[in-house]
Amino acid sequence: MKIFSSLKSGFYRAWRSRKGILIVWLVFFLLVLVFIYPLRASLKTAFSSSMITERLAGGLDIEVFSDLGPTLKTILSSVTGGFIMVYLVGFLLNAFLTAGLFGSVRKETGKFSAREFFNAASKSFWPFLAISLVITLTLNFVLGVVLGIPVGVVSSSETMPETTRFAVMISAGAVALLLIPVVLLAADYSRAWKSTHENESFLKAIGFGFSRTFSKFWSSYIMMVLVILTQSALGILIMIILPAWKPVTGGGVFLLLIVSQLLFFARLLLKTWRYASVTSMMEETALTIPVNTYNINDEQGRSNQIPG
Amino acid sequence: MKINLVFIFCLFLTFCPLDAQIINEIPLSDRVTGYRIDVKLDTDSKTVKGSMEAFWVNKSSDTVPDIQMHLYMNAFRSNRTTYFREMGGSPGNNDSDLGWIEIRSLMDENGVDLLPSMEYISPDDGNREDKTVARILLPIPALPGDTVSVRIDFETKLPSRIRRTGYTGDFYFVAQWFPKFGVYEPAGMRYSARGGWNCHQFHANSEFYSNHSVYDLTLNLPVEYFTGSGGKLISEKTDGEMKTLVYRAEDIVDFAWTAWPGYSVFTDRWKNVDITLLIPGSRVKQVERQFAAVKYALQYLDQNVGPYPWPHLTFVDPPLIGAGAGGMEYTTLFTTGSSLFMPEWRHYAEMITVHEFGHAYFMGILASNEFEEPWLDEGVNSYWEERIMDNYYGSNSGLINHRLLKVSDKSSARRGYSSSPVRQTVSNNEYSWNYPHGTYYMMSYQKTAVWLHTLAGIIGEETMDNVFREYYRKWAFKHPSGKDFINVVNEVVQKEHGARFGPDMNWFFDQTLYGTGICDYKVIGFSNRKYRKPEGKTDTADAIANEWPDTDSLYTSVAMIERAGDVILPVDVLIHFTNGDEILEKWDGKARYKDYTYTGYREIDWVKIDPEFRITMDVNFNNNSFTEEPQRAVLHRLVNRLLTFIQFYLSIILL
Repeated sequence: MKIFSSLKSGFYRAWRSRKGILIVWLVFFLLVLVFIYPLRASLKTAFSSSMITERLAGGLDIEVFSDLGPTLKTILSSVTGGFIMVYLVGFLLNAFLTAGLFGSVRKETGKFSAREFFNAASKSFWPFLAISLVITLTLNFVLGVVLGIPVGVVSSSETMPETTRFAVMISAGAVALLLIPVVLLAADYSRAWKSTHENESFLKAIGFGFSRTFSKFWSSYIMMVLVILTQSALGILIMIILPAWKPVTGGGVFLLLIVSQLLFFARLLLKTWRYASVTSMMEETALTIPVNTYNINDEQGRSNQIPG
Repeated sequence: MKINLVFIFCLFLTFCPLDAQIINEIPLSDRVTGYRIDVKLDTDSKTVKGSMEAFWVNKSSDTVPDIQMHLYMNAFRSNRTTYFREMGGSPGNNDSDLGWIEIRSLMDENGVDLLPSMEYISPDDGNREDKTVARILLPIPALPGDTVSVRIDFETKLPSRIRRTGYTGDFYFVAQWFPKFGVYEPAGMRYSARGGWNCHQFHANSEFYSNHSVYDLTLNLPVEYFTGSGGKLISEKTDGEMKTLVYRAEDIVDFAWTAWPGYSVFTDRWKNVDITLLIPGSRVKQVERQFAAVKYALQYLDQNVGPYPWPHLTFVDPPLIGAGAGGMEYTTLFTTGSSLFMPEWRHYAEMITVHEFGHAYFMGILASNEFEEPWLDEGVNSYWEERIMDNYYGSNSGLINHRLLKVSDKSSARRGYSSSPVRQTVSNNEYSWNYPHGTYYMMSYQKTAVWLHTLAGIIGEETMDNVFREYYRKWAFKHPSGKDFINVVNEVVQKEHGARFGPDMNWFFDQTLYGTGICDYKVIGFSNRKYRKPEGKTDTADAIANEWPDTDSLYTSVAMIERAGDVILPVDVLIHFTNGDEILEKWDGKARYKDYTYTGYREIDWVKIDPEFRITMDVNFNNNSFTEEPQRAVLHRLVNRLLTFIQFYLSIILL
């Protein structure tokens, strides 16, 4: 039942933080726009007064772009460089904004306040950045090992039957998928704990994150899987709706942009739901522990032997 | 002497069935050569060992002192062979990795040992480490009409790393495995100024030029193996743990076979053709798609080029361990390349099937020289592959038919050519090993297909089909050259269009096949100017004003066109006016620039060159049109999608 109460509480808290989500949406919208706008201008210049863009009305036509020749190479190289920049800046901004969100989804937080959001964001920026960095590297390492080794073995074998190869690859993929919620839980528990323990080091937070993930494994894991499945359902819905919609007028394209951004807002809401559910789960499981061994206010300075 | 007489008698008995009709009622070809091969597959030593009786008929008026034979498995003998020098890499260091063919004995019909008079030659590059061609001096030169018969005992070791041929584990694909005659070309045949053997070494990019022959293969191998070949199975006999199969093939240019215990065998039928598919058991789901693809190809080529003349066809989908054998062609046997999971929207496996089957026509029936004119083999075949794929799987989705992305086979080839930085490095008419800077594939496959589509765009698809029907009618089961193909084009175009395109089409081939120029027509722009009445003192009356009473709303509009490339082709120019009028101009495309001027109560709205994209040689379609109000909404839509995609992607990868 903890799972559902956490999910329910998490959703309420996420909705309560919708203005914070709006801030996150706006920041990322502007960030990507900074990258996209020059690209749009480049494409306009590249196609100039050509009517070839008519061929894009029915969908992507690679020939239209390949005929751009050297211009395409220039555009692609600027897209690649631009995307790396967006990713790096996005990484920093995400650490900052996530700190704000984790601060606003805590139980004791009342009505959303932008001042508190940015206050929490600025206070926890560096530890959140460090946690994000460590967990991202951990995730990449884990996926590299889980996927890379079997792929390497399969590729180097000349005589392995096709079905065995496929089974190995599928198994590796399945293991990787099963491990992702674990790493996400560790990341979320770390950050949820850190947002209530401002003076603790980020390493302790990571330690707590992994410790809590495994000490409350099944309830946490099932909850995370449910959140991911819901997010995936939204993702599938988006994959069905957006590509099928091919407006050819300015108004239609603008409407598509609005709908896309609403869907992205929904995606951010679900992501915040994940943060809030994990925070709620952390708080709920902490509260069930007898008072003499746990007091949230006495917790500062303790290591992860005592649940936070 | 007694031995010799017995041997001659045996040869007589032996070759008698080669002339007999077993598969087709009448011979399809001249049958200049024939082979009777009796071998055993030794799965321990990875060898094919046995004997071969073969003949070559001197159908020329020359007295020929020698014979020349391909010993192509020697290409895998070391990394010094021409094949490995061209493609890089290594056959491997272990003896088990290498491939070779050893002639154990070689006798003529009189029992004379010819082995001492055999030497390895390297007619293409003088590489003495390459032993893929053997020259055998005959004790008595072959007079016109003579038949030279030989008996050869040979052993072929298969290479372990399959590159077209070889073995991996218990999978065998056995091609280029027996001594095979070159083609004797008398003076006047193709490009020969004087008679001589055309017998090229084994190259990285080419391996086919042979006579249409009759093959009788007796193959002994372990019972657990499933086999397939370019021949028709005549008999099968099991003896304990071994079985003996007898195959017969008629009028094909090469004979290959495969054996693997893991095959599942499926059969289907198209008209009178029995089709057999050998495929790993795990890929059963691909069977229907593969049969559909091959039947599409049969139907299309039968309808537009000529009949498929054999009653049998076998194709093989090699397992992953034998993927190196995939995508090869041996006329009545070819290999494709699917995999365990092939999404319905992805037609690459079908494309390979259609392409490799197409070689039954282009190189199989119309047996051109792949070494010297690869475009006539791979390029012409690619052209037909693209037509078939786009015809059956959608004109804009022959290769990929996904709701997010559609790619036609034709556009894929054009993209390869038009975006290649080396598209002008060399002409399209080189020997296969003379293409520099990795241009072989782009030039032989893609550029050829692109200019064939362009030719069809100029002369019309119906005329193009008639060209190929005539090419088939004239040259089936012969050895056409590029100039023979061009002659057919000239004849058919002349017949159907008169002098519309000039006395012949050589101007087209000079630029596309033999030239290195690019084709690029562009619209510079257009102008619409209000008509200005004569001002000041003029000596003549205003003729325009007489013709157009209301000169206040009269415009003089000019559409400006340019030929930016070197290639000159006739193009259509479509001019659209604000009042909805359209004028289609036919431009010969010769001048560097061209202005079309119009006077009337209308302004030019937009201009398009080649509005139906018939001139696929044009390397840039983007500059083929001009308007002052381009369609930006779809571009914005695309950019918006990218924006959304990056937002979602970042939100997923950032924790």
